[in-house]
Amino acid sequence: MRALVIEDDAALRAQVTKILTDEGFAVDVAADGEQGLYMAEEYPIDIAIVDLGLPKTSGIEIIRKARKSGRSFPVLILTARDGWQSKVEGLEAGADDYLVKPFHKEELLARTRALLRRSGGWSQATLESGPISLDTTAKSVSVSGKNVELTSFEYRVLEYLLTHAGKVISKTELTEHLYTEDEERDSNVIEVFIKRLRSKLDPEATLNPITTLRGQGYRWDLPRQ
Amino acid sequence: MTSLRARQLFAASLVLTAFIALCGAGLEQAFNSSALQAEEDKLQGLAYALLGAAEANTNGDLAIQNTRLPDPRLANPQSGLQAAIVNERGGLIWGSPSLADDWPLTLAPQEVGTWKFQEQGNWFSLTFGLRWLDRADAPRRYTLLIIEDNASFRAQLRTYRRTLWGWLGGAALALLAVQLLVLRWSLTPLRKLAKELHSIEADQQNSIEATYPSELTPLTDALNSMIQAERNQQTRYRNALGDLAHSLKTPLAVLHGVTDEDVKDSTLKQKIREPLSRIQDITDYQLRKAATAGRRTLSGPVAIRPLADKISGALQKVYADKGVQFSIDILPSLRIRADEGDLYELLGNLLDNAAKWCRKQVAIGVNLSDRIVELTIDDDGPGFPENAGNLLQRGVRADSQVPGQGIGLAAVNDLIGVYDGKIELQRSPLGGGRVLIRIKA
Repeated sequence: MRALVIEDDAALRAQVTKILTDEGFAVDVAADGEQGLYMAEEYPIDIAIVDLGLPKTSGIEIIRKARKSGRSFPVLILTARDGWQSKVEGLEAGADDYLVKPFHKEELLARTRALLRRSGGWSQATLESGPISLDTTAKSVSVSGKNVELTSFEYRVLEYLLTHAGKVISKTELTEHLYTEDEERDSNVIEVFIKRLRSKLDPEATLNPITTLRGQGYRWDLPRQ
Repeated sequence: MTSLRARQLFAASLVLTAFIALCGAGLEQAFNSSALQAEEDKLQGLAYALLGAAEANTNGDLAIQNTRLPDPRLANPQSGLQAAIVNERGGLIWGSPSLADDWPLTLAPQEVGTWKFQEQGNWFSLTFGLRWLDRADAPRRYTLLIIEDNASFRAQLRTYRRTLWGWLGGAALALLAVQLLVLRWSLTPLRKLAKELHSIEADQQNSIEATYPSELTPLTDALNSMIQAERNQQTRYRNALGDLAHSLKTPLAVLHGVTDEDVKDSTLKQKIREPLSRIQDITDYQLRKAATAGRRTLSGPVAIRPLADKISGALQKVYADKGVQFSIDILPSLRIRADEGDLYELLGNLLDNAAKWCRKQVAIGVNLSDRIVELTIDDDGPGFPENAGNLLQRGVRADSQVPGQGIGLAAVNDLIGVYDGKIELQRSPLGGGRVLIRIKA
């Protein structure tokens, strides 16, 4: 999952970035509103965490403009002004949830996960599809109740596919959503991860959870529960 | 006497009545005495004429021949003008042909050389004492008496009085009417000003715009700058508080993060967290207190319905997982005399609390009776705990595990205090908690 963090305070920005990176997110950062708006409109992000009090372009303005240009990723606003007027304004502009500063790491992660889940159409913290279950809080995966050990990157690929279960996801999309702009990418690696996931989740090849669509990409094909 | 108009009218009518009354009385008095004087002069003239026509008769007494009577009325018994001459003993020695048998007044002799004019009953009388030298050049004393019926004089006076008071009354009414019009005209700017201030209160305009008479200009100018200053100040104040909150809380957030991540020793972590959360609570409380505007002058009533709609719409997003259903029962026309920011805080905190604790339903209702607004927020959650009153105290959270600000109810309680309102925590008919708030509309 790829997250955009727009926060002008360097220390807090670094902290939020670290929290999210540790959680397996590819994180893009912007220090001011202008840069933030550009990224929000151009980058293939899954979630944005936006501070409301920003220099140049305000957080609310960014959200409004991004929504206007058709971006539908979930937005979590960070606000120090705990006045309801600004919260309501932010939510009306298109944000999906708010978090008042100062906050705990767990609070930030819980909200972020919940928003991502919701945007993929899942209502529980554990994504269950067929015998496969992915616990977004514990970051663990099990098949028919048996735990499956995945590397952090394998987990990220699975989480993305499962969150968007039923949709065709191209290799480019997967790469874009798992790496930031600055990271080196190799879409061939994706094939390797998909292959490994198939063998770990479905060693007997009876489930066939991931379908390869030639020239288009991959699709998670087990039904949601 | 609460209005300027009533005061002015009262004073004007009082002065006018006194003036008209005095004026009328004076005019009447003047006319009366001049008419009396004229009457006296007339009778005196008649007396001279009579004396001029008098000559001694065969007895040597004074008499006037009928043919030489100076006024024909003296010959007519019904004319109301009669004359007589009496001697020094009061005996009648001559009477005009008009002299009635019942001379209405006493025939008393009068001192020589003196006039006496008076009004008695229905008559004016003029008596004149004189000395007459008879043929033997012996002086004799006579008294000439003339009486005239005063009916016509009285009638004249009545006519005059009627005319006088009629005109004066008319003039008074006309003056009052003019006064009313003048008053209306000169108070128009004040009425206009009051209307403009109402519009400003209702947020329909930003300043006093019309042109006013020079006496009022300093006042309207001062009012305009006051309104401007107050509005700007409120905005500046809110912005400054917002900036302060931002610049205090961002480093606080960093400190929180550093404590969570980098402090490995758990006792030390606890030691840092405790003062940190205290700083946070104090900052929250003081900022919130400072941001509470309270009832302000020249700010109009705020409609609650749109606020409730906006906030519940926003909260529906936040609690999308639960699928909270908000039912809002507020008349769109209902307005409360309060600051909009304050109402946002009030409804925001209460609805957030209700949405946080409910299972599915949150209901908001507002009743207005006797200028008291009764706001109820219900939810179908577990309801308030036993010691619910504590929740209203600053800093106590019902459950600090639930993420969010937690001190919502205490914030509402503080806010309600500023508006002299009451807050009660009850059990809701929906099964959960009900917050009941009463404030003046």
